[in-house]
Formats: sequence, C-alpha cells, structure tokens
Amino acid sequence: MKHFTRLAAAALAVTVAATSAPAQETEELFVPNLAYRTGPFAATGIPLMNGQRDYAQMLNARDGGVGGVMLNFEECETGYNTQKGVECYEKTKGEAIVTQPWSTGITLQVLPKTNVDKIPVLAPGYGFSPMADGKVFQWAFNVPGSYWDAASMILKYISGGDLGSLNGKTIAFLHLDHPYGKEPLPFMEAMEKEHGFKLEPIPVGLKEMQNQSAQWLQIRRLRPDYVVMWGWGAMNAGAITEAVKTKFPMDKFVGVWWSSHDADLRIVGEKGKGYKAISFSRPVLDAPVLSDLEDYVYSKGDSLASEEERQGVFYNRGLVISMILTEAIATAQKHFDKAVIGPEDLRWGLENLNITDERLEELGMSGMVAPFSTSCGDHTGHSGGWILEWDGEKFVQASDHLTPDSEVIRPMEIAGAKAYAEENAPWPVNESCDAQAG
Amino acid sequence: MFNEIFIAPFADMIAAPDFLLQVLWEGLVSGILYALIALGFVLIFRSSRIFNFAQGIMVVFAALTLVGLHAMGVPAWICVLLTLGVMFVLAVVIERVVLRPLVGQPDIILFMATIGITLFLIGFGEVIFGGENKVMITEELGIPTGSVLLEPFGGLLILEQKDITAVVVAALLVVALLVFLNYTRMGRAIRALGDDSQAALSVGISIQTIWVLVWFIAGIIALVTGIAWGARAGVSFALEVIAYKALPVLMLGGLESIAGAIIGGLMIGLLEKLFEIYWGQPLLGGNTETWFAFVLALIVLLFRPQGLFGEKIIERV
Repeated sequence: MKHFTRLAAAALAVTVAATSAPAQETEELFVPNLAYRTGPFAATGIPLMNGQRDYAQMLNARDGGVGGVMLNFEECETGYNTQKGVECYEKTKGEAIVTQPWSTGITLQVLPKTNVDKIPVLAPGYGFSPMADGKVFQWAFNVPGSYWDAASMILKYISGGDLGSLNGKTIAFLHLDHPYGKEPLPFMEAMEKEHGFKLEPIPVGLKEMQNQSAQWLQIRRLRPDYVVMWGWGAMNAGAITEAVKTKFPMDKFVGVWWSSHDADLRIVGEKGKGYKAISFSRPVLDAPVLSDLEDYVYSKGDSLASEEERQGVFYNRGLVISMILTEAIATAQKHFDKAVIGPEDLRWGLENLNITDERLEELGMSGMVAPFSTSCGDHTGHSGGWILEWDGEKFVQASDHLTPDSEVIRPMEIAGAKAYAEENAPWPVNESCDAQAG
Repeated sequence: MFNEIFIAPFADMIAAPDFLLQVLWEGLVSGILYALIALGFVLIFRSSRIFNFAQGIMVVFAALTLVGLHAMGVPAWICVLLTLGVMFVLAVVIERVVLRPLVGQPDIILFMATIGITLFLIGFGEVIFGGENKVMITEELGIPTGSVLLEPFGGLLILEQKDITAVVVAALLVVALLVFLNYTRMGRAIRALGDDSQAALSVGISIQTIWVLVWFIAGIIALVTGIAWGARAGVSFALEVIAYKALPVLMLGGLESIAGAIIGGLMIGLLEKLFEIYWGQPLLGGNTETWFAFVLALIVLLFRPQGLFGEKIIERV
C-alpha cells in the first residue's frame, strides 16, 4: 500500500504539473528522463531514477529550481527498450533542453538525431565511449566516465597498477549480450594485445540472465584468474548467485559501476563478501545534501525511495547524476546571463563543467564523486573512481581514487569517433575544437 | 572443423566426466523448470483452447505476492497459503471478468485477452509491490541453501540443495497433476473438455468451474516456478522472461500433451546445455541457449507439425 500511496501521490503531482504547464511554459526548464521503472531491468533502474528525481525535487523546493527557474523533471517510460526509448526521445524533444536516454542502445539510436535536433544527450557513465571526443560528438556527453575508463580502472586495480603483471593470465569478460555489454570490448581487446593476457568474452542473453549456469560452467572450465562483469538488471544477481554456487573466489570478481547495486548483492548476503565493482560515485551517508533532502523531500513524503534504498550506491549515484545536470544548467545560466536557457545553451554548460572539490563542498556532496571538468574536446571529464567492495551487508570503499589510463584511451576515443563519423558521413564536426587537447 | 564438431566435444566429455555430469545436472534442473512452466500453458490450452500469454507474469505475480506478504510480517508458510488464495481469487476474477464474456469468440480473441491480463498484472503488480528486486524467502520456507559436493571420477560435482529441492518438488507436482487428471472426477472433466468440449458440456460439465480450476492450477504451478527461479536470482519482473523458454518446449512437445511438456522440457534443458558447453561456446562464441531450443523445435516441426506428442488434426471436408 505504501507504494500505492507514493505512486498515487507521484501521479497526482505529475498531473498537477502537466495541467499547470501551459501557464508556466516559459518559466520552467524541461529536463525529461527516459526512465525505466518497468520491465526486466526495473529493479536496477528504480533507485537511480529515484535519486535523480529526489535531487530535482529538492532543488525545486529549496531553491525554487535552478537560477530561480523550476525544473520540470518528467519521466517517459522506456522499459529499457530501445524502440520505446526512441519514441520517448521524439515525444519529449520539442520542449526539452536535454535528453537522458538511460541505455547505451537508445543513446546509439538518438546520437545521429541530436545533430539535427540540436539537443544535448546526457549519458552519465554509459553510451558509446568515443562520445568523449566533443569535436565529433558535439551534442553527446558521457560524464564523468566512459566504459573504457571503467575497464581501464578495473585492469589497473586487478594488476595492482602494473598491467604487465597480467601477462599470461586469463580474464573472463562476462557481459550482457547487448550494445551496453559489448561496449568495452574494443578497449579490452586492445589491452589483451598490449599486455599479453587472454580475454575470454562470455555473453549472457536477455532470456538467460537468471539462469547463467552455462556461462558459469564455462568459467569453471576456463579457470580464469579474474572475472570482469558488465552486467545489468537481473543479470547481476544471476551472476553473483552462480559465482557463489560455483565457489568462484569473490575477490577475483569485479564488475562495472552498473553492477554495484546493493539489492543484487543482498540476495547472496554474506556469501557475496569480497565482490567488487568500480564506481564513479560513492554514498557518503553524512553528506549535508542528505539533510536538505530530508527536510525538503523525505519528510514531506515526496520521495519514492525507501529508507534502505536511500543508503545504497545506485540511489546516491542518481543524486550525483542530477547534480551534474543542474550544475551544467547553472553554468549556462551564468554564462549567458539568463535564467531560462535552451538546449544549445545547456550544451555549452555541459561543455564547460568544472566540478571542483570546493564546488562539491558548497553543494554538500563532498566525496560523492571525484572532481572533474569538461571542455570542447573532452565531453567525458574522466573523473576516475573507486573500487567498492561488498562487506556482506553493504558496499564499502576498497581502494584509493583510481584514474583511467588516458594516454591509451584518448587516441582510441579519437580514432573511434573518426571512424564513426566516416561511417555516418556526412557527419558535422566542430572544427573549432581541439580534441587532442581533451 | 570435422574434428571440432564430431570428435573434440566427445573427447572433452570423456576427459572430464565429472564436468559432463555437472552439465547434465544443470540441464536437468533447467529442463524440469521449463517443463513446469510449459505445463501451465498446456493445462489451460487443453481445457479452453486458450494460449495463455499471461503465464510468465503469473509467475512474477505469485512470487511477488509471496515475498510481499512475508515483508509485512506474515509467517512464511502462511504466506504460501495466502498466495494460493490470491491465485485462486485471480483465477475466479479472470474467469468471471475476462473469459466468461468471451465464450464462443474466436481463439485469437481469447489469446488477445490473455495479453490484456498480462499488461494488467504488470501494472497492478508494480503499483502494489514496486519493481525492485526482492530476496526470495528460501530459508524461511525451509528450503536448504547449502551445497552437496560429490567427487565422481575423482572430480567435482556441485549440487545446490535448493536445486535438488526444486527438482524434487517439481517432479512431485507433475506426478500429483497426472494423478489428479487421470484419477479424479474433476481431472477427468478437464480432460473431457479438452477432448470434446461439446460432448463434455452435454453431459453436464461446467465450463466455468473447469476454467477456474485450470487457471488456479496454473497459478499453483506459477508459484512453485516463481519460488524455484526466484531463489536463484531474486524476485523481480525479470522473471517474466523465463516464460519465453517454455515456447520451444510447447512447439516440441505439442500444445495439448502433458507428457510432451514434461519430456520436451527435459529434452530442451539437457540438449541446450550440452550444445552450449561442447559446441556453442567453443565454436560459436556462446549464448546459443537463446536460439538453440527454437531451432531444435523447428526441426521437429518440419517432420511432425503437431510436435512430438501433439495430436494430429484430421479434418474431413
């Protein structure tokens, strides 16, 4: 019933917002989220969407939005389905100042459209890694880190900082058989050639997410030194359950940041102790921003998240993601000296983000994400991240701040972007940008 | 290539017989669970000619009801009874509200109605229980969660106790269903309705009662399936996709055959696992389980369009 009450309240709020929208049309910033609260991936989508939504609600309640303009944070349900995602993009693009596709598959589909529609794509921590090259992907932003960043940091971590030590070892790459899961493969394959380890890609189909016995039998047969996972939705819980079952050592099992969902690990509890994941964000449960959320959102019953969910990695990542978006809005408002900005203004804001330690402290979010900045040539920021480890009950930080190997990744990003532009010619390029400097 | 297809896989099986046993065990576990889902489809199709598209979401709904009730502080076994009660009420409501008004309509209309039931249950389930992944109350139900480690041929065979429980419970459920269908009055009524609905109606069999009964039995099957699969990777709407694994089982075994569902499920479970491990992963990069069962079923349909155990339909013109 609690869910029903919350959803009814949310539905009412959306209805009220929608009916009052025409009167406030010029006085709000429409920042739609192509969310997925339904379908096979809902379990992992919900806490992220809740975090994003709560942060936007808090700004609306506390500050009257951003720069005095209310945020219209509306969700369009995709169910993580690429076709529905494209429909949501088309439906919302008219008034939106940004699109948040929430799926690598949807991001790849809308990428070419954004050149025409001139609307920025914000894909925090996902999407096509070469989107980092702002010279080619003028409208796309995968701040604060790409999948190649994540793969680089994982390899750095498991090798103890010496990638040469991976020579002769076997790394099983367990991934969702989906554009998202395949995205880090070019980087991993390049690293395999350079450092002499054996990469064994193991795909998991959508229908096999909860029954990965075949994949883990293969892992048992291969006896890899490490398993690196690019899992999502029910695949994470399925993989961790099988790892426990096959007695694969958890300290040799590392996932990407989308495989660090508390609820997935709670299924195995103590048995999952030692499992790790790279993360560009981390929960800081005494962060001042949480007090404001308590005062302006939770205490009023406006949050859809449970108290347990609010302690988790994904919910807190949702807060960080909304913060990045609203900081870009504030940056653009300041630069263009106007409160109501358009998508092209926001593109500039996203391209000139400067999230410093000082700024994070002002926002009450110190330590929740590492400082980073973007530029015309660098649309990712490459903030780096931390290894989080499951201690049987929750994720805890298990490494110092790690950074991706930019010397290797940057040329790959530029080459990848160039190849994409050639394959999709004519593709507009921002010649005023110096991607090499990114 | 000849070696890789015809010799190497068998050499691997002989070289590591313990691993082969593990593959067969995993195939058996998957197979019996596929068979269970397929049985839900077959029972409803036999008695009403309805292809129940909602079987997958019924698995989710039953499992969510169970863990949802437990989260409210209800003891585990009471939750099971209450969930069965909810599945019974669901069966009654479906019969009264959806199926009864559509009696006599073409099969495709009834099929479309089950799509409507699916969409309703997705929305209703999400409103009531939320979409988050939930932990199945495995231990609370007394299902052991440890492993049995065997050392056949000097190797290692890991049998999860919850998998053993799932196999035993599923097998018992299948036997109970067969006994019910063959040796009870209601069971024979279900079969009679499937064999010849007009004749069955003429001797006083109530179509409404039978429909409620088969939908309730499908609900029981959904609950058992939901517990078994939910114990593996949690309870969420992702469980719904499990039902798609039953489609090739139905193609292979025939839509009307209970034996076909059981044998088809076991065949697909075992063969897809063997193919994936010994041929799919080394030669095709893996993930063949997504299509292997369909290809196998299509090959069977080429030679037996009614499936391995389906009834051949002969219409006189």
